[in-house]
Amino acid sequence: MRKFLPSFKLLSGLLNVYGLVFLTFLYMPLGLIVLYSFNANPINMAVWTGFTFDWYATIFGGAAVETTFDAAFTESPERIFEVVKNSFLVAFTAASIATIVGTATAIAIARYNFITKRFYQALLLLPMLIPDIVLGISLLIFFVGIGFELGLMTIIVGHVTFLSSYVFVVVSARLAGMDTTLEQASADLGAGPVTTFRRVTLPQIMPGVVGGFLLAFIISLDDVVITYFIAGVGSQTLPLFILAMMRRGIRPQITALAVLILLFSFVVATVGLLLRNRKP
Amino acid sequence: MGFLQIASAHKAYQTPEGALVRALDDISIDVRNNEFLTLLGPSGCGKTTLLKIIAGFEDLDGGDIILEGRSLKEVPAHRRPFNTVFQNYALFPHMTISQNIGYGLDVAGVKKPDRDRRVGEALEMVGLVGYGSRRPAQLSGGQQQRVALARSLILKPRVLLLDEPLSALDRKMREAMQIELKNLQDSVGITFIFVTHDQEEALAMSDRIAVISNGRLQQLGSPTEVYDAPDNEFVANFVGTSNLFTGRIIDVDTGQGLVTMETGNGRRLCAGSRAYGLGDEVKLILRPEHLRLVDGDTPDGPCLIEGSVKDVIFVGSVVHLHVDVGFGRTAIVYHHHDRTGFRNDIEHGAHVRLAYAPDSAHLIANGRG
Repeated sequence: MRKFLPSFKLLSGLLNVYGLVFLTFLYMPLGLIVLYSFNANPINMAVWTGFTFDWYATIFGGAAVETTFDAAFTESPERIFEVVKNSFLVAFTAASIATIVGTATAIAIARYNFITKRFYQALLLLPMLIPDIVLGISLLIFFVGIGFELGLMTIIVGHVTFLSSYVFVVVSARLAGMDTTLEQASADLGAGPVTTFRRVTLPQIMPGVVGGFLLAFIISLDDVVITYFIAGVGSQTLPLFILAMMRRGIRPQITALAVLILLFSFVVATVGLLLRNRKP
Repeated sequence: MGFLQIASAHKAYQTPEGALVRALDDISIDVRNNEFLTLLGPSGCGKTTLLKIIAGFEDLDGGDIILEGRSLKEVPAHRRPFNTVFQNYALFPHMTISQNIGYGLDVAGVKKPDRDRRVGEALEMVGLVGYGSRRPAQLSGGQQQRVALARSLILKPRVLLLDEPLSALDRKMREAMQIELKNLQDSVGITFIFVTHDQEEALAMSDRIAVISNGRLQQLGSPTEVYDAPDNEFVANFVGTSNLFTGRIIDVDTGQGLVTMETGNGRRLCAGSRAYGLGDEVKLILRPEHLRLVDGDTPDGPCLIEGSVKDVIFVGSVVHLHVDVGFGRTAIVYHHHDRTGFRNDIEHGAHVRLAYAPDSAHLIANGRG
């Protein structure tokens, strides 16, 4: 054993280096974008010329755009507010519907036995495996085929289809960990199925339901591929809007916007994880 | 018409491997009003299934559950006048103790002032005054057990179903709760159906015991009937410890009510019985406490077994002796040691003579059970 020790040490050292490299590649870009968003240099982000809040200010309309050159690359606060509003409207509505659909299905699968159970389960997990681009194209063809005018409505419907899967998975995990005798005890004490659901099952799986909702909300908020296909004129969401901005060049305002989105996602994800990990 | 009739209950399960398991195979029990009935059997014998069927959590494949002449087959669990104390108590973790106990009343629409008063009484009944605002997780196993009891009894059920409620408690606590449960049952006057695999628990608490094995009712009777006169070999072995000898009756003394049995290898044993005649194939059951050590002056005879001590196990109140009685058979003897008494110094290998009263030997027909 002893003679293997040096090589073990070497291996352990290499593993540490590997871990460091991995984390660097993962978080350096994120660190850079945060850094750039505070760089006063309007032309080249990679050259530091001073600290500024200007780019954040342009998003909220706190600073005037100084030159016509910059104006060509900067979006007005009104326009940004509109797409953010669209994004939130879509994310909130789609996540809410998906939470109801996903939770209801999870309960049906977990608590009832029916012949097509496995089939249903597979159907619900499939949207997470189907490539986004395929889902996007097929949704587009479907909406156009049935004459559904593209707009916020189609984005919401499209998002619900795959967000339900995520909620289903999160709530199912929670249900699997729940003691089913609690429901029997409730029935035993005279509560009908509806009362039992409202007063025993739902409070027990609530962290999963909220966690599923937040997950769905975040996924909807930053979805690009599927939304790209099913968004109509005038129904732009934030990610699509940023994509369009990028086509004209990566401007400092984009980095500031990206940092804000990052921050928001981080907060929501943290709340979601905390809720999901909370013991029943 | 009985109080609660379990009428030829049948239930079968399909295992994941595809095998069919008969959880309940034609079980019929007439449960009496206000009795403490225990369903006793090894794990997997079907006793918990039967309890779940009575509660309404599972359906019967055949037969019926009849309460005072009314079939409960179509009555869902939440409409049956029965309440259950679950093995793991199944207290609602997100509710306080008071909310747990008051849940049934709340669901039934009992208004808050009345509910609070009755919850208070229930807390008092189970000795948990002052615990009302705590959560189940903050209570010990024994306390949770009492909450589960209070939560069920507050609804004044016709029948209280208890699914191995004492199995999670430690020994001392369990014995205390046995007495408490029995007293509680006496005072509330509610029929208890109690499921357990612990035969001592069953003997200590029950008015009647239903011994179940492999989905079949093996015997239904009072604790003394089940212990002293087991119907078959399964009951004899499952309830208490038994020494069993198989043989044929070779002599009958009808005047004395005595028979003599001879085993396949020529051992002769006596038994008090008028139920069996010459030539009957029987099994003779001797309880370990009925065998007593006697000295060499006692004359030989069919009511005496000789052997050598293989193991001496001191368990406190008695000494368990494993006695090799020949032909590869071991008899178990419970020997009372009384400090001053006869043979307190039994050692491994000692030669002993074991006598018993003919009436303490119980005969069952061979081939049954």
